[in-house]
Amino acid sequence: MTAAIETEALGKRYRTKWALAGCTLFIPAGHVVGLVGPNGAGKTTLLNLATGELAPTTGTIEVLGNRPAAGPAQLARVGYLAQDAPLYAGLPVADHLRLGAHLNPGWDADLAHRRVERLDLDPKQKAGTLSGGQRAQLALTLAVAKRPELLVLDEPVASLDPLARREFLQDLMESVAEQEVSVVLSSHLISDLERACDYVIVLVDSRVRVAGPVDDLLAAHHLLSGPRRDPASLPAGMEVVSASHTDVQTTLLVRTSGPVLDPAWTVSEVGLEDLMLAYMKQPATRRHHLEVLK
Amino acid sequence: MMWLTWRQFRAQAITAAAALAAFAIVLVLTESRMASMYDSSGLLTCHGGACSGLATTFLVQLSSGQGVSFIPFGANVYVIVYFLSVLVILVAPAITGIFWGAPLIARELETGTFRLTWNQSITRTRWLTVKLALIGLAAMAVTEAFSLLQAWWAAPIGKAVGLGGGASIFSEGRFGWFVFPTHGITPLGYAAFAFALGVTAGLIIRRPIPAMAATLAIFAAFQAIVPLWIRPNLFPTSQTTATIAASGANVSLGANPALTLTASIVPGQPGAWIISSEGVNAAGQRVSTIPAACQSAISDGLGSHRGTTVGPDPVALNNCVARHGIRVAEGYQPASHYWPLQLAETGFYLALALALAWYCFWRLNRRRS
Amino acid sequence: MIEFHLDGRSGVAPYLQLIHQVRHALRLGLLHEGDQLPKVKDVAAGLAINPNTVLKAYRELEYEGLAAARPGIGTFVTGTLDGGSLAAHGPLRRELQRWLAKARRAGLDDESIEALFASTFRSASEEDIA
Repeated sequence: MTAAIETEALGKRYRTKWALAGCTLFIPAGHVVGLVGPNGAGKTTLLNLATGELAPTTGTIEVLGNRPAAGPAQLARVGYLAQDAPLYAGLPVADHLRLGAHLNPGWDADLAHRRVERLDLDPKQKAGTLSGGQRAQLALTLAVAKRPELLVLDEPVASLDPLARREFLQDLMESVAEQEVSVVLSSHLISDLERACDYVIVLVDSRVRVAGPVDDLLAAHHLLSGPRRDPASLPAGMEVVSASHTDVQTTLLVRTSGPVLDPAWTVSEVGLEDLMLAYMKQPATRRHHLEVLK
Repeated sequence: MMWLTWRQFRAQAITAAAALAAFAIVLVLTESRMASMYDSSGLLTCHGGACSGLATTFLVQLSSGQGVSFIPFGANVYVIVYFLSVLVILVAPAITGIFWGAPLIARELETGTFRLTWNQSITRTRWLTVKLALIGLAAMAVTEAFSLLQAWWAAPIGKAVGLGGGASIFSEGRFGWFVFPTHGITPLGYAAFAFALGVTAGLIIRRPIPAMAATLAIFAAFQAIVPLWIRPNLFPTSQTTATIAASGANVSLGANPALTLTASIVPGQPGAWIISSEGVNAAGQRVSTIPAACQSAISDGLGSHRGTTVGPDPVALNNCVARHGIRVAEGYQPASHYWPLQLAETGFYLALALALAWYCFWRLNRRRS
Repeated sequence: MIEFHLDGRSGVAPYLQLIHQVRHALRLGLLHEGDQLPKVKDVAAGLAINPNTVLKAYRELEYEGLAAARPGIGTFVTGTLDGGSLAAHGPLRRELQRWLAKARRAGLDDESIEALFASTFRSASEEDIA
């Protein structure tokens, strides 16, 4: 399976602080990948390494099999939407499309114009006077119309109102359905990602906590509740992600490859949001045994 | 990329075109009267020694208000236009460097639009190449256009000065401190350097306004230092010694009794650029004080005359100093070095511009945060 | 053509919700054999969900024999659900209505009725399995 992004022990340090450390990922192509984590976790750093804006301090990263931003051909394969959708405030919508047409050999002018019409954007309106949602949509148009193989979106909906957010995601999903494009998008809101993503990476405190296809992750995690017990007494092969106790009851979120046979436990399924929250709450000092589910 | 460069540069190009047009209009409006004055001055048909007298007359006439003045209060329009146009040429490279160069990269970094443009299907190298080439050449062309327009307008003045016209406000020679940098090809070098300096400052400082300030400061420093210490040393200076009279020097008093001799002619080298002049005795040693005997020439001339204080009698002072065997040692560049100096200084600034540009390419491609 | 909707808070996986809605539509007679199901692209865009989710639902329906994909054209309904339509269960419906009336007379409110039904239904299902 080809990789959209592949990293090996990737790390980035600014002066004394590591923004990203020990990051080993194999993100397969053909998915919509959600990169989730609290602010400052390293999401933007990872995406900036993927677009070539930053160079790694340690380790390696390959995007679509090549070094990021290795040349015009590589740049053409990756579409990027930076945080807050930077556009030229004084340039009208139509000139932004011309920018795309002049700077990208693979530019699909029909697609761009259809999108702009459907979005009801006035071609003569300057980008600085567009609403937040419209700016995000225009920036997405620019990224999508060059027909990339991979779309990288850094917190594309973070500052949008709920309606604009929904419309943006609708648009994005339509583009994914129409073109065979992989997407990596980051967000600190999990609910944004639940519907759209079928592969998830949780990044907390500059480290990857868990990564894998959503279906596999949901199938491998269970919520166990039962009489109070020491988590260490669980059988091997069962990793405890989070635990909480009252004086009589223990509730555990576990990750296991096999079925839970102990009848003392009441087993229930975990939603994606609860799953990601549990990983995000893990203390940083805990050793992480990362298994990437392929 | 050329379309994008033009589109982003469009407003600045229009401003420059408007400024050039306004400049041209002012020059055209004032040129014809000056040209007819020149034609009727007799300088077209003069020969030999008679020319310098006629030339001086013409220049004095031009600068003293006997020409037509459009401006009230008796201000002389030719003087104003001349010096304003020189000012424009001196300032043009700084303006393009500050307003075209400094924001080039800095604005993209500050607003984040570099994340849009440098992720399209072109490399940063190509982006910068097109931007530097097109806008840099535009800066050079605009500055040189101002210079050429002014040279056309001031042609009569230049010819008169060349024919020996002196004693007027226009009479700085080609090597004059405001003439050398505003004529010939030096404006090209300054424009290229100021632009490259602006771009580099913007890349390092990453915000337009501070970059503009830094560009102005550094460019101004260069424009002050180069004429003082680099331009005179681009070629070895020639030396000669002349009598005080022949060198047209005047003895002027520094803190008495310090001796300062300011020569204005190099005998046998018309149009030379005098770089240094100092008093030397018969043995060639430097003399920096007025001989004691001449002190009296100073005090003789001092005193009150009908209630006002007059300075020392300059002729007596000159004669006294000369009688003591003091001559003037002049360091100069001959007139024939004008174009070599122009080329050397322009080459110097162009080399700096290229070095700065190379640095920008290197730094732009070095991946950082 | 039917239109899908998603309940983000129901805890049921989106693809299962889509499958349920197709089956429900079949039962209600909104969908017949030969009808086209909405295009993957339109469902993904309409609901802002991953196209793979829609594909997964449609594949499951194919596996159950309820639908078939025609490449380049779309996905079409091919089967019906056994048990016929709801209309065929008239007697069961009337019995249920009588029971509901009894439950109301006993003083149960809506939530209690639903809870009673849900727990009875669950324990009955578990007994079936066991």
